[in-house]
Amino acid sequence: MTSRTKALSLYKALLRESRKFSNYNFRTYALRRVKDAFRENKVVTDQSKIGELLIFGEESLKIIQRQVTVGQLYGDLPVVLEKKIEQTS
Amino acid sequence: MAALRTRLCSVVRTTNALFSRGILQKTTIPAITRLNHITEGQNGRQFSSLTQRITVKCHPVGVRYYSHPPLTVDSVRDRVLLVLKLYDKINPEKLTVDSHFMNDLGLDSLDQVEIIMAMEDEFGFEIPDADADRLMRPADIVQYIADKEDLAA
Repeated sequence: MTSRTKALSLYKALLRESRKFSNYNFRTYALRRVKDAFRENKVVTDQSKIGELLIFGEESLKIIQRQVTVGQLYGDLPVVLEKKIEQTS
Repeated sequence: MAALRTRLCSVVRTTNALFSRGILQKTTIPAITRLNHITEGQNGRQFSSLTQRITVKCHPVGVRYYSHPPLTVDSVRDRVLLVLKLYDKINPEKLTVDSHFMNDLGLDSLDQVEIIMAMEDEFGFEIPDADADRLMRPADIVQYIADKEDLAA
């Protein structure tokens, strides 16, 4: 597996997991942070730097998975924004 | 005990009334007859188990069972193009069925991953990474989904 395919599947896994946050603020922040971080580092060519970033990404994925589970234990009320989306659709 | 008995009788009366008006399903008959029997035999615990049985047997309200309208290649193409038009990094005027995401539309591989995820949401199934790598034009995605859903071109 090349680092390119690794990065892409990590990107997908991070986005998938971030979408599961029940809290609106956590969810939108996680999605924005993941997208920004990958865009920011897409020009990196140094192999050791790429390795470090991939490890950082995998650790972040584990953090997100844990926090999603913790967040689901304590139900969140929908934010005003989400309520509007429900009404119009 | 007397109070319990009056309450039981009123429950039985309402269920009987509902039944005579055809509101309750036929499947509730045995439970109701047995409830009638229990009103004579004053036993609180048995009564509670029977009320539970009745709630289980009543048909759930507000549940519908239906399938989605059949997919066609044209409807798949329209839905794929609509999803792509709504993606903020794609210029809807440049978009055609045969435009390449990277060469024609100026997207990168990260955008392509996001597009594939949007397609997964739209069509409700997961696209494995190995297959997703090959989907570089809207036409490829339409073809892939048509293959997966067994649609004739």
